[in-house]
Amino acid sequence: MIYGSNHIDLVNDAFWFITGISALLLFVITFLMIYFVFKYNRKKGKKAVNIEGNTKLEILWTVIPVILVMAMFWYGWIGYRDLKNPPKDAMIVKVTAQMWKWTFEYDNGVKADSLYVPVNRAIQVNLHSLDVNHSFFIPAFRFKRDVLPNKNNSIWFLPANVGKFDIACAEYCGLSHSAMYSKVIVLPQQEFDNWLKTELVKKNASVTQSSAVNRK
Amino acid sequence: MHDKEQSVSYLDYKGKHSGIFAWILSTDHKRIGLLYLMASLLFFAVGVTFGFLMRLELIAPGRTIMDAQTYNSLFTLHGIIMIFLFVIPGLPAVFGNFFLPILIGAKDVAFPRLNLLSWWLYVLGALLAVISVFLPGGPADTGWTFYIPYSIRSTTNVMPALIAAFILGFSSILTGLNFIVTIHRMRAPGMTFFKMPLFAWSLYATAWVQILATPIIGITLLLVTIERMFGVGLFDPALGGDPVLYQHLFWIYSHPAVYIMILPAMGVVTEIIPVFSHRTIFGYKFIAFSSCAIALFGSMVWAHHMFTVGMSETAQVIFSLLTFLVAIPSAIKVFNWVATLYKGSISTDAPLLYALGFIFLFSIGGFTGLIQGALSVNMHIHDTSFIVAHFHYVMFGGTGFGIFAAMHYWFPKMFGKMYNMKTAKVGFWTLFVGFNTLYFPMFVMGWLGMPRRYFDYLPEFQIYHFISTIGSWILIVGLIIMFTNFIKALRSKTSYTNINPWSGETLEWTVPNKPPLENFEVIPTITAGPYEYKDNDEILTKEDN
Amino acid sequence: MSVVAEHISEHVHRDDLGSRMGIWLFLFTELVLFGGMFLVYAVYRFTYQQEFHVAAKELNTLIGTLNTLILLTSSLTMVLAIVAIRKDNKFLSIFFQVITIFLAFGFMVNKYFEWMAKIHHGIYPGSETLLAKGNGEILFFGLYYVMTGLHGLHVLIGMVLIGVMTRFTMKGTVNSDKYIHLEAAGLYWHLVDIIWIFLFPLFYLIT
Repeated sequence: MIYGSNHIDLVNDAFWFITGISALLLFVITFLMIYFVFKYNRKKGKKAVNIEGNTKLEILWTVIPVILVMAMFWYGWIGYRDLKNPPKDAMIVKVTAQMWKWTFEYDNGVKADSLYVPVNRAIQVNLHSLDVNHSFFIPAFRFKRDVLPNKNNSIWFLPANVGKFDIACAEYCGLSHSAMYSKVIVLPQQEFDNWLKTELVKKNASVTQSSAVNRK
Repeated sequence: MHDKEQSVSYLDYKGKHSGIFAWILSTDHKRIGLLYLMASLLFFAVGVTFGFLMRLELIAPGRTIMDAQTYNSLFTLHGIIMIFLFVIPGLPAVFGNFFLPILIGAKDVAFPRLNLLSWWLYVLGALLAVISVFLPGGPADTGWTFYIPYSIRSTTNVMPALIAAFILGFSSILTGLNFIVTIHRMRAPGMTFFKMPLFAWSLYATAWVQILATPIIGITLLLVTIERMFGVGLFDPALGGDPVLYQHLFWIYSHPAVYIMILPAMGVVTEIIPVFSHRTIFGYKFIAFSSCAIALFGSMVWAHHMFTVGMSETAQVIFSLLTFLVAIPSAIKVFNWVATLYKGSISTDAPLLYALGFIFLFSIGGFTGLIQGALSVNMHIHDTSFIVAHFHYVMFGGTGFGIFAAMHYWFPKMFGKMYNMKTAKVGFWTLFVGFNTLYFPMFVMGWLGMPRRYFDYLPEFQIYHFISTIGSWILIVGLIIMFTNFIKALRSKTSYTNINPWSGETLEWTVPNKPPLENFEVIPTITAGPYEYKDNDEILTKEDN
Repeated sequence: MSVVAEHISEHVHRDDLGSRMGIWLFLFTELVLFGGMFLVYAVYRFTYQQEFHVAAKELNTLIGTLNTLILLTSSLTMVLAIVAIRKDNKFLSIFFQVITIFLAFGFMVNKYFEWMAKIHHGIYPGSETLLAKGNGEILFFGLYYVMTGLHGLHVLIGMVLIGVMTRFTMKGTVNSDKYIHLEAAGLYWHLVDIIWIFLFPLFYLIT
């Protein structure tokens, strides 16, 4: 398994681990509440017993949750660790956010509105904003990272499957915040190389054209 | 148990002023509490209407009933109104003002005139917020968080909204200050700290958070105001300022503010459960100390709102760890409440239903908080509707239901009238069902990747939005049932004279309904704790009659 | 004052210790308020060390020192005013209160000239001269204006408060038995002083 390729699984595992324990505890709490309300209902005419507390019980239900939440913390942490440090050989894409669109720029100067990436290759996105705060969010890959005007954040991911996935802006940025969608398009390596080549040719052609226009 | 000939009630006595001035210039803590109640319910109605309109807009993708700018202003106003004008003052300023002095056996709060000043500041802040809607430029559209740089770029009326929040903060500080001194200095003879009702404890913890955290938001919002006026550059990235620093300062207050909102509601629940189980509270000291622990730990977890901004790894780990730990005192409270039901003699009147509803909904809110505290999961669900659902479960399912519980619990004492119990229960169940239908789908779509503050959305989320909007209608029906029930009771001619309808043991049940100006004819001397029930046999026979 | 009358007619609640506690709590909130700004200062000082160093040199240490002396002296006269009223010397108390107000006024006059000099040099938020400088210097002067400005506002409020107290002392509302209000104004005044004690080195001395 390639380092980082299981990020989605780690997030899902942490989520379901915490949700599972929570659901169980919630069930116990709710069940006890309902059970007590019926069992000790005043209509049954039983006398209430004044129990002032029980220190052993208090310690028990302090210590056990502490252990549980520490486990939850650990699960959350191991899924995050990888996200922080991109591998050395990651392909770098520069992402520029502005109200309300995304621009993706590749090493060779090619720019695109959608993020084209090869499958099974670590991608590092360097995030920069031209105006206000945005947030680069790919729900399918289970991460987001804020895009700030004064600070260059970066994050990386490893697309494991070919396909198209949504990129959303997750930090409120004004009028058309909800329309600030783009796509990450994961292609097989070969197709990606072709795409990049075609785009480069197109770009060079347009550069020559515009310089030709300028000369006139 | 019935009303003797008593001195004039707080509703009727004549002071120096008459007419409306007898109210808006009154320094009586009960009148001020009632003024807050009316004002905050008014704004609650406005906030609910905005929420209803937003949900209606979201019933289908694309434009339904309003444009994006209106929608953005609506969620901003909904946030500002609900947080600063309803939820924060909802319990401390309304029920704290009304009942704290009575609960600890005092004639009033320590500084009655300061108390009146707080109310006036509240009104001033509220008016400014209202004015900002009608000034040219349109209502603020920044979200209640006023994140920079958007809040210094937006051309809408951000300034009045900022100043409004600043003033409301000061109102809150003064109330907190008043309560701390009141609790320290005005307890009746014999009432030690550990004989205080736990609602007073929760207000005490809240008050400390209010006075120590609120100034930070005050100065922060002031700096944003100055930034907008003079372009000083303190947060503006174009001049070298740091928007992330703004976020830190904002959350240093606004996270503890969440505990300002929830702690008093926990206090109310702690009052209600022993009364309706008719037995002593389980683990008094643990509940009291957990309030303080929440106030303490709650002040050290603010950056968990900012896991995605790119802080240092150390900061991420510490804040995540502390976030998990802050859940513990809340869990202790929940366990103690449930244990208090054990071997009680439970009567399921409306206040208890609301209290149990609180426990259920707050638990969901708390557990989903754990899910967000996990770093990796947070990267995914931060700023999605999962968060929206989470804080509505805490703030509305928690504090909101706490406020409703308090209203049902203390209504006969405050107004000397009794509402219809059956209608109250119907109202509760409608609210409960509506609430879950409205907010639960947001968890699901949040996990599936629906970002928050979205005017429009992808078609795959429509089913959840649709269910959620239907839920908002049920919820509003529940609210209408509840409030008509109250209004009917207020307008009925028959006054309710049983001064202790729930057989409570705390001091407010010893004074007449609609308590007189100075609450007690003779300041009581306290010998027993607040929940020491000795008439276990009596209550059963009383029920039979 | 009729609001008070309404209450007084019912019962007189007097608790000097409680009032003192209230004042101290209020002073805490003021400290936290300024604390927020000191935090901002600390962060930017750390981020832009060199530029803060350059900018701080432009402030006039002499005026700063003079103002520090003035404020410290005024704190002393404030204490003397309270001591005097406790010893039932009404005249002396009023005298010291007036001196305090006078000193505070002197502080503000100094501050005025200091600000004006800066503004004449074109250094004020949003000015071209300032915008031409580096980000760190913009922030330094931004903080300088905001923090000393807010402090100046507190000095003004303090002056008004002490003025009201002088009036109370004349009327006899503040007297040797009941001087808690004067004491409150005094505590507030010391807070204003203390905040300056921190502002002075942060802006003028540390270069």
